Amino acid sequence: MSLFTQDYASAGFFDELITPDGQPRPVARVLFDHLEALGAAGLDERRRAVDAAIMTTGVTFTVYSEAGNIDRAWPFDIIPRVMSCREWSRIEAGLKQRLTALNLFINDLYNEQRIIKDGVFPQEVLAGSRNFRVQCQGMTPRFGVWAHVCGTDLVRDQDGTLYVLEDNLRVPSGVSYMLENRQIMKRLFPEFFQSSSILPVDDYPARLHDTLATLSPRTGSRPVVVLLTPGIYNSAYFEHSYLAQKMGAFLVEGSDLVVEADDCVYMKTISGLRRVDVIYRRIDDDFLDPEVFRPDSALGVKGLMRSWRAGKVGIANAPGAGVADDKVVYAFVPQVIRYYLDEDPIIPNVPSYLCMRDDERAYVLANLDKLVVKPANESGGYGMLIGPRSTPEERTQFAGLIQANPRNYMAQPTLALSTAPAWVDGHLAPRHLDLRPFVLQSDRLYCTTGGLTRVAMKAGSLVVNSSQGGGAKDTWIVDLGHEEE
Amino acid sequence: MLSRVAESLYWMARYLERAENTARFINSTTQVLLDLPRGASFGWDVLLKTAGLDSRYSQHHHGPPDEAEIMRFLILDERNPSSIVASIHNARENTRTFREVLPMEIWERINSLYLYTRDNASRATQGRSQRYEVLKGVIERRQSVIGLLMGSMSKDLAYQFIRLGHNLERADMTTRILDVNSAVRLPESAAAAELARERLWIGTLNALSAYQMYRQHVGVRVVGSEVVRFLLTDPHFPRTVRHCLGEIENCLCDLIHYDRPLNVARHAWKRLGSIDHLVMDGLHENLDQLQADLAALHDAISRQYFSLYHLSGIQEQSHPS
Repeated sequence: MSLFTQDYASAGFFDELITPDGQPRPVARVLFDHLEALGAAGLDERRRAVDAAIMTTGVTFTVYSEAGNIDRAWPFDIIPRVMSCREWSRIEAGLKQRLTALNLFINDLYNEQRIIKDGVFPQEVLAGSRNFRVQCQGMTPRFGVWAHVCGTDLVRDQDGTLYVLEDNLRVPSGVSYMLENRQIMKRLFPEFFQSSSILPVDDYPARLHDTLATLSPRTGSRPVVVLLTPGIYNSAYFEHSYLAQKMGAFLVEGSDLVVEADDCVYMKTISGLRRVDVIYRRIDDDFLDPEVFRPDSALGVKGLMRSWRAGKVGIANAPGAGVADDKVVYAFVPQVIRYYLDEDPIIPNVPSYLCMRDDERAYVLANLDKLVVKPANESGGYGMLIGPRSTPEERTQFAGLIQANPRNYMAQPTLALSTAPAWVDGHLAPRHLDLRPFVLQSDRLYCTTGGLTRVAMKAGSLVVNSSQGGGAKDTWIVDLGHEEE
Repeated sequence: MLSRVAESLYWMARYLERAENTARFINSTTQVLLDLPRGASFGWDVLLKTAGLDSRYSQHHHGPPDEAEIMRFLILDERNPSSIVASIHNARENTRTFREVLPMEIWERINSLYLYTRDNASRATQGRSQRYEVLKGVIERRQSVIGLLMGSMSKDLAYQFIRLGHNLERADMTTRILDVNSAVRLPESAAAAELARERLWIGTLNALSAYQMYRQHVGVRVVGSEVVRFLLTDPHFPRTVRHCLGEIENCLCDLIHYDRPLNVARHAWKRLGSIDHLVMDGLHENLDQLQADLAALHDAISRQYFSLYHLSGIQEQSHPS
């Protein structure tokens, strides 16, 4: 029936918008009506308008990621990814459940370690954790919450099941792209938004500010919230500046802050020192405080940990929260949820094999050509072995690495990531994607409506990381009312 | 407001003003040169001396001053931090660090000024006619930044620091442009000398876009002492030293803890009142003094707002944000 869907084939993969027999899924019907009405020529025209819009605002993107005059274009696909409200509410509940449990877990690890004493989480995993910070032991931040901002990566397998692929608890980024994607779509496809009930996403900066404000050590006055950035040469500087602006927070660098003898953090202003209540830090633990962590760090603030421990400043995410952002710890999250909440996980983990366990390691070593092997503490897709695409030499090398340091490796089956149509050279073509929603926790929980959908823009590619040719598209959560699927 | 941000805003404004003034200065000097009567002579190194760049230039260049070399140095040499290209590059780099306090369009205009300058500056060193056209393009684009600032930015603290930087730089450049004539050797004959003098002063007025306003408000005849009086003390023309000092005072009064910088500004103000414009012989020394006063004003602003936190014993102060 459809001009667009009849030749569309995403063989062997679950497609988010189109059924195997070429029909739009119920959530995508309204969207496809619009696409049909626009036609290929109309879509090409909008595509050009999007490119032009990205060029003008694109200044802000390229400039900040510009190092040595490398201008990076922002790959954006105009076909949105659509999910139903019903599916989303289940995911949202699962994400909140997960972050709640993770925060209980982190707080337990830095205090009583009940979960270890009860034999649910092995001491040896904690002992081998690079992100466990002894300097944080004995601390209980306000509300017992350590990870206030979490970016959770979700993927869908070929049978349609949605899994958590990883929890980013250190300094997750990308939320500004989610907000910008929607801005662009609203500007260029206003008719889509008039006729269907697409839930808005733009309350995130306000919710983030609310969350941060609850961490203020001072009551009464409006808290002074700052966003601590490594500076303009950081690839996420655009996002830092963007969020600071939207939240009405000060964008500061380490050199703008000072910890005085009273253990309070101050920023250096034109009228002298001004006390800072909450720091939304976008630099890693290692660089946070040269007095405690890396002494050569020029990005951090001397004495910051002292101030935090004394309860004189709120820091989000709390130092040490990254202990739960570890691919081996990840494998234990379903047990962590059951242990602390006495609930079954709503969103499953991808099945994982831990190389520290003899039988699982034997299985991994025997099946290296089928599995994806990941090191515990890397991010951004580095240091991985993708079995089906690896050479025998790479597999031999990884077998050696695993045997030398089993605690540091885990493996998962190679996932057949779901696809969605992208507008490529005048027609719809399937491209693999994932989804990164952002969850906030303090005394309250909040989850973005949808999240950032990342797309592998190259045909057949499974790599969605922006550093490796990934792009993005708008994510719609639509309210179908009574006609849910 | 963060000291770092205030300082970046201030320097962004100074660099942009410096780039525009250098462009104006080069264009008007070139014009004057074409009009000078036979017997008057003019060395291009005057431009370096008045801009205070002669010693920096001689670090890198030897031999007699040459127009093409000097132009290259003033327009695009990165070793000269005050060259037009370097100034605009610095302004743009400063702007990157406080994008969140400026309207988005301003960044885009500054970026396009930078791109234009980067792509055309070398053309400006290939002969006088191209030079005029390219520098005119720089001036126009810089004016569009100013227009946007006035029309789209709240007159908040950030704006006051931009205004401070811009007026301080402007006052300084006006004293330097006034000084250029003292370095010209005039012809022997009295009649030719007088004609040359008039041409030079018209050139000075033109460099500051002040010729028309001078004729309207002072008179048709261009006389050195009147030009000096006008450019130093006229309260209404926006490039006079007096007007700039007035703007600086207004800015300071919109800020906080302005006592110290304001005292220094008043000192410059007094000096301005004491200069006898009829005594042209001492003009160069007086302008030097005025430049020293402006430098002291910069130091006072810098100490008060950009490095206040270095002083010990400063209590946290309530902040009118």
